[in-house]
Amino acid sequence: MSYVAIKGGGRAIAGAAAVTEYLRTEEGSGNAGAEPPEPLKIDAILHQLRHLVDRVISEGGVYHPRFAALAIKQSLGDTLEAAFALRAWRSTRPRLSATPPLDTSRMRLIRRISSAFKEIPGGQMLGPTPDYALRLLRLDLMDESPEAFRAVARDWLENCPETELPDSFPKVLDALRAEGLLPPITAVRSQTAFDITREPLVFPVPRSAALATMARAETGSLLAIAYSNMRGYGDVHPTVAELRVGYLPVLLPHPVTGELVEAGEVLITECEVVAMYEADDAGGKPMFTIGYGSCFGHNEVKAISMAILDRALQKGMKDGAANPSEDPEFVLLHVDGVDSMGFASHYKMPHYVTFQSDLDRLRTTQQKTGVPA
Amino acid sequence: MNLERKDWIRALTAHPATVLNALADELTVGCGVKLKSLPQAGLGLLTLTDGAFREPYYLGEFPLSMCSIELSLPDGRRTAGGAQVMADDAELARALAILDAILAAGFPGYERVSAHIESGTKRRAEEDRRRRAMLAATRVDFAMLNNAGDDDDET
Repeated sequence: MSYVAIKGGGRAIAGAAAVTEYLRTEEGSGNAGAEPPEPLKIDAILHQLRHLVDRVISEGGVYHPRFAALAIKQSLGDTLEAAFALRAWRSTRPRLSATPPLDTSRMRLIRRISSAFKEIPGGQMLGPTPDYALRLLRLDLMDESPEAFRAVARDWLENCPETELPDSFPKVLDALRAEGLLPPITAVRSQTAFDITREPLVFPVPRSAALATMARAETGSLLAIAYSNMRGYGDVHPTVAELRVGYLPVLLPHPVTGELVEAGEVLITECEVVAMYEADDAGGKPMFTIGYGSCFGHNEVKAISMAILDRALQKGMKDGAANPSEDPEFVLLHVDGVDSMGFASHYKMPHYVTFQSDLDRLRTTQQKTGVPA
Repeated sequence: MNLERKDWIRALTAHPATVLNALADELTVGCGVKLKSLPQAGLGLLTLTDGAFREPYYLGEFPLSMCSIELSLPDGRRTAGGAQVMADDAELARALAILDAILAAGFPGYERVSAHIESGTKRRAEEDRRRRAMLAATRVDFAMLNNAGDDDDET
C-alpha cells in the first residue's frame, strides 16, 4: 500500500466543521414556535448519560469524567471519537507518578452480586441495575417536567434507609481459595506490570499486558470476541463468582511523611469468573480455573467479557490457541477502539494513486485473458 | 479533630477548589512559601492487583496534581507540607500543600483548616451514607423456587 500527498480542500474542510457545528446547535432553528435551544450542560451529561461517560473514560484509558463528558458533547455522542479525543488529551500530559498496587477489596461498593452462590459473606446487593427491568420504553420520560425530575432524587434521598453496612466486603474467590478449590497464589507470578502506553505489544506478552489492553478496549469488540467463546468457539463456560461496582480509593504516598494518602477515588467495575476445572500438571488435585476483568466506570458487560477472555487467553498461552478467543495476538491487537476505528476511517482518505494502480493492473489482466467483454 | 493526616485530602477536597485556594491565600499572608517541588498537573498511573492471581497490572491513568512546600513564619518557625490530589489543577495541589503544612504544625489559622476538614468529613460521610443506602435498599436474598413463602419476605 502506498500513499500520496494531496493539497487543497481547506475551505471545504473548514466548511465541514461548520456544518457539523450547525447540526449540533440547530435544535429549534427555523421553527418560530419552538422553545429556544439549550446547549447540553456537562453536568447533565455526567449524570444523565453516566454509562456513556463511563464507557468513554474506560475506552479512553483516563479517569477524567468531566473531560469524557466534554468529549461526548463535542463528538455528538460518538464514543469512538470521544475516546480518541480523551486519549489525545492524555498524550499531552506528563506522567507524574504511579500508585502502588491497589487492592480492590477496599472498594466502597454500590453493587455486589454473585451467580455462583445464593448467599455470600456480607450478602448480595443489586445496587443500580437494569437487570430485572422490563425492556419497555418509558414514554413518561418523553416529556419529563423539571419538577418531577427533581422530585425523584429528593424523594429517594429522604426515604433512603439508615444502615450499618460495612464500607468493604470480603471476596467470594477468597472463600473458594481457602477451601482449596482454586489455584493458590504463588510467588512465581510476575510482580512487574507491563505499561502498554510506553511499550509495544511484542508477542508473547505477559498477562499484565493483556489485562491492561483489555481494560481500555472497545466494549463491543471485547464483547464480540468473548461472545464467540461463549457460543461455542471456546469452552470457558464461566460462572460469575462475584461482580462488583464501587469506588476505589486511589492511594499515593504523602510527599512529606511517605504514608499512603487517599488522593481521590475512581468508579470501577470488577468481575471474577470461575470456569471449568482442570487437572494439575504437577499431579496435584484438580481445581477450578479463574478469569478476571475490570475497567473504569460502571460497565458490566465489558468486565464480564474481559474476565472470560482473560481465562481464554490463559489457556491459549499455556496450551496454544484452539480458537480465536484464545489467541493473544488475535484478541489483543483487535480490541482497541481507537486503533481499529482509525484503520477503518483511513479508508475514507484519498487513495487515488493506489486505486489507479489497481485499475491499471485489472485492465492489463483482462487484456491478457483475451476474453471478449 | 481526630482525623489522621492521611485522611485530610479526602476531607478537604469535599470543598470546591476555589474555597481551598482562597483559604490558603488568606492564611499565608505574611508567611514565606518556598516551593520544594513545583506545582505540577499531569497524570498518575493506576496499578491494580488483579483479583484472580494477585498480579499487578495498569488499569489506566487519572489526572494528578502534586506540590511540596516549606512554610515559614515571621518568627522563624518553619514546616513542610505536601499534597498529591486527583485533579487536573496544580494550583489546588499548592493550596492543599499549604493547608497540610499549617495544620500539621499548628501554625496560625490551623483552626480554620481544621474546621474545613471537619465539615468536609461530614460531606464525605453523607456521600458514603448515600452509597451504603444503595446497597441496603437493594439487598437481596434469592430463594429457591420450591421454598414456601411470599416474594420479598426477606428480612
